[in-house]
Amino acid sequence: MNSFNTGIDHETLVCARCGYCQAVCPVYAALGWESTGPRGRIAIARQAARGAPLSLDHERRVYQCTLCGHCREVCPTRIDTCDLWLDLRGHLAAKGSIARWQLRVVRDNLLAQRNITGDVPENRLLWQQNLETEIPGLNLQPNTRVVYFVGCVAGLYPQTQGIPQALSQILAQAQISFTTLGSAEECCGFPLLGMGLEDIAADLARRKVARVKEIGASVLVAACPSCYHTWRDVYPHLLGEPHGLQIKHASEFLADLLTEQRLNPQPQETRVTYHDPCDLGRNSGIYDPPRQVLNAIPGLELVEMAEHREHALCCGGGGNMEVVDPDLVAAIARRRLAQALETGASFLVTPCQQCKRTLANAARAERTRLKVFDLNEFVWRTL
Amino acid sequence: MQLIEETRMSQIAPPRFPKLAASLGERYTESDFERAFYRRDLASVPRVLEAMLARTTPHAVARPQNAEEVAALVQYAHAHHIPITPRAAATTVYWNSVPTRGGIVVDLNALRGVVSIDEEHLTATVQSATRWSELETALNRRGYATLSYPSSAPSATIGGWVNMEGHGIGSLKYGALTQQLQRLEIVLPNGEIFQATPESNPLLSWFVRAEGTLGIVTEIELAIRAKPEAIGNHWLAFSDVTALQRALVALATATPTPYSIHFSDAAHLRLLRDAGFETCQVFRNLTGLEPDTPQFQVLVTFDGSAQQVAAGAQTLKEVVARCAGETLDASLANLEWMERFASLRLKRAGPTLLGAEAWLPLNKLADYAADLARLTGAQRVPIATYGAVVTPTMTTVMSVFPSDESRTINYILDLSLTKKIYDVAFRHGGRPYGIGFWNAPYLHRAFASRELAERIARKRQLDPLNIMNPDKAYKPAFLLSPIFFDLGMDTLALARRAWSANR
Ligand SMILES: Cc1cc2nc3c(=O)[nH]c(=O)nc-3n(C[C@H](O)[C@H](O)[C@H](O)COP(=O)(O)OP(=O)(O)OC[C@H]3O[C@@H](n4cnc5c(N)ncnc54)[C@H](O)[C@@H]3O)c2cc1C
Ligand code: SF4
Ligand code: SF4
Repeated sequence: MNSFNTGIDHETLVCARCGYCQAVCPVYAALGWESTGPRGRIAIARQAARGAPLSLDHERRVYQCTLCGHCREVCPTRIDTCDLWLDLRGHLAAKGSIARWQLRVVRDNLLAQRNITGDVPENRLLWQQNLETEIPGLNLQPNTRVVYFVGCVAGLYPQTQGIPQALSQILAQAQISFTTLGSAEECCGFPLLGMGLEDIAADLARRKVARVKEIGASVLVAACPSCYHTWRDVYPHLLGEPHGLQIKHASEFLADLLTEQRLNPQPQETRVTYHDPCDLGRNSGIYDPPRQVLNAIPGLELVEMAEHREHALCCGGGGNMEVVDPDLVAAIARRRLAQALETGASFLVTPCQQCKRTLANAARAERTRLKVFDLNEFVWRTL
Repeated sequence: MQLIEETRMSQIAPPRFPKLAASLGERYTESDFERAFYRRDLASVPRVLEAMLARTTPHAVARPQNAEEVAALVQYAHAHHIPITPRAAATTVYWNSVPTRGGIVVDLNALRGVVSIDEEHLTATVQSATRWSELETALNRRGYATLSYPSSAPSATIGGWVNMEGHGIGSLKYGALTQQLQRLEIVLPNGEIFQATPESNPLLSWFVRAEGTLGIVTEIELAIRAKPEAIGNHWLAFSDVTALQRALVALATATPTPYSIHFSDAAHLRLLRDAGFETCQVFRNLTGLEPDTPQFQVLVTFDGSAQQVAAGAQTLKEVVARCAGETLDASLANLEWMERFASLRLKRAGPTLLGAEAWLPLNKLADYAADLARLTGAQRVPIATYGAVVTPTMTTVMSVFPSDESRTINYILDLSLTKKIYDVAFRHGGRPYGIGFWNAPYLHRAFASRELAERIARKRQLDPLNIMNPDKAYKPAFLLSPIFFDLGMDTLALARRAWSANR
């Protein structure tokens, strides 16, 4: 479905105020005030377009959005709402808004260390310390066709470091020659885009594309849906030209490996439900490959949640919202978790480190027995 | 909320309605910031007009989550004579859910969810702000379906449609919503929780089409059906409006009865193209659409058993042959069916759309269209028309044209054409589809005198203090009294005509 963004001024006039977006918005479902849904945010954007001053209350509502894309899917006037939200954040950034919010810390980390946590670059190698098998050429190996782009969250958060460990061991087992950018990896820029700081993100994009090309790679694999979406869909726009790299999400890569029978998962007599990450599903259109991966595991029963694929509920983890309003993230995650529990599954699997974090936190807070896994981790357990 | 520089987000002032603030807690606000979001519906009204006519910003907004909370709130409002505006998805255009005297907006959206499905008696019980799309999805999962729904189903609520006209997709086959209602739980203007049924006193029918003026519906029990086994969509074209009307009349009374009939004219397609949808299937397949070709498209949908759907296709074939129609590609028909909730696509041709929706005898459609064509010519405005046949003899007809609310003077001139379109409908036995605030000047044309008198009597009986959604549905605001309204709008229309002739 084609969507339009002709600029804040025009799109906010085009909005019909029909509220289709409101009906699907996870933030509105959690908070309930008209101001908290996309229709309310359009009203705020209209004010911005008219040059009216925006208060902190307005700013807060702009940042209380996971950029999940659900509103864009249902909009009958075909407003590319997510793109509009980014423009609106750009408008706020230009007015110095970031400094008023915790977002400032993330921005400063990105400027100082080129990652979201502010860790020193060497910490990007920590996940490699306890791999079950040694993988040669894991860092910046020249003349390697495939680069695995690890991403800040998976690389730097202890809770998710199992993901790069799992994926790199899967690739090694499938005898894929690959490398990573090691400690030279930098954030893909997605959090900066989410703050409306497109210029800085463009700079990061240029540096990274050059680095991958230095290695001589032609394929880039990302396990993080946001990195994947940014590399695949946003970089050509930021760079003003195609980068010439083939971008694959890990789930696509694994699906290919399974089709080619380069992996041999062992039977798992268990019931699994699958959560579509917004940046992989709605925002990138990838729905089938992760399901193919799960269905390739003998004995596994895949049960869908009430809302899935294009209609999947958001986990709450996107759009930088965790730094702005963690309680809201938790409330949104609880709602998704409830749908997962309704399926009676033992495992909730998702191909995203951020969805895994938010849903696993919700599962812990709700004291459920549901085990939350990233897809790569889950597959690695079966090999 | 992690704000680096802690700032006071809103002034701490004692609440205007302290009891409500205490009882509803976080689901109640008097904040300037939040209240400002409740002063609009779909209508784009120039600020000057808005300021002249009403106080659209409420003093407070409350989000009760059950009938008891609604009842307590209404009792309080009743005791203190505070105006109340019930608001659900706010997908209406006549300020139906916009306050006119401030007061309290009761945002009903926390009353959301399917309560139960009775498979034996084929009924569903829902909270009133459940979306039609939510109910349909929940029913489909269990093998059931709604009988009908509005073409705003993705957001419109069941309580909202009960309070409005209740005709839409499926009405032709299954009748108006009112015929499907078994029970309404409603909080009356004095705060009493009342169960309205077809036998109760007052009757359930009193609360249908009441536009939120007789109480707040909190729960609804309505008829459902087994999910149809099959669906068949057909897209037809007619080269003139007489043929179109003949075909619609024949189809509306055909056996089997179509589930839905939706029609639109060539101007509608042209507006879609102007809106930037020229790459869509519709245009690729309808080549040869000349600017002045009076051409009409009809989407006819049959559903039910596979046999019924096949029988529908046969009936349709005969009608098309008899009325010199043409059958278009079946895949287009399916595509159009999938777009049945997206009529607002047209808005991209605006950015504002103005127009009027009327309830019109089906056998007057051709006269209406011819008359409207004269208006189009005189005012030099591209008016697009579409509609749905909703009973064997009646259709809704929506005629819209692009405008731009950001050009205030032109926009105010354009507003006058909405009256001109209604005038066309009145000349052919039509009436406005929905009243609210803005259509109140047409009340005497919308209802027969006896019917209007009866409605006013019900209002006096149930809401003598006139706290429940005042200024809607019974009497126009002073400045909208027919005498001022007609004169003002007609003068503006004349000015617009002169202006457009000189351009
Ligand atoms: C694209 C589009 C398509 C549409 N298609 C149709 C159609 O096919 N048929 C049709 O009839 N209309 C249609 N409409 C108009 C509108 O969507 C419907 O009338 C809808 O049912 C209104 O529901 P709502 O939840 O938006 O109510 P609101 O707009 O919030 O309220 C409507 C009125 O009902 C009152 N109200 C709402 N809920 C309650 C309640 N629980 N108790 C008491 N009063 C209440 C309000 O005070 C107000 O007066 C369409 C609108 C759009 C934008
Ligand atoms: S769905 Fe689109 S047109 Fe409708 S209110 Fe939301 S943004 Fe506006
Ligand atoms: S992107 Fe998601 S969270 Fe943001 S407004 Fe749209 S639906 Fe709501």
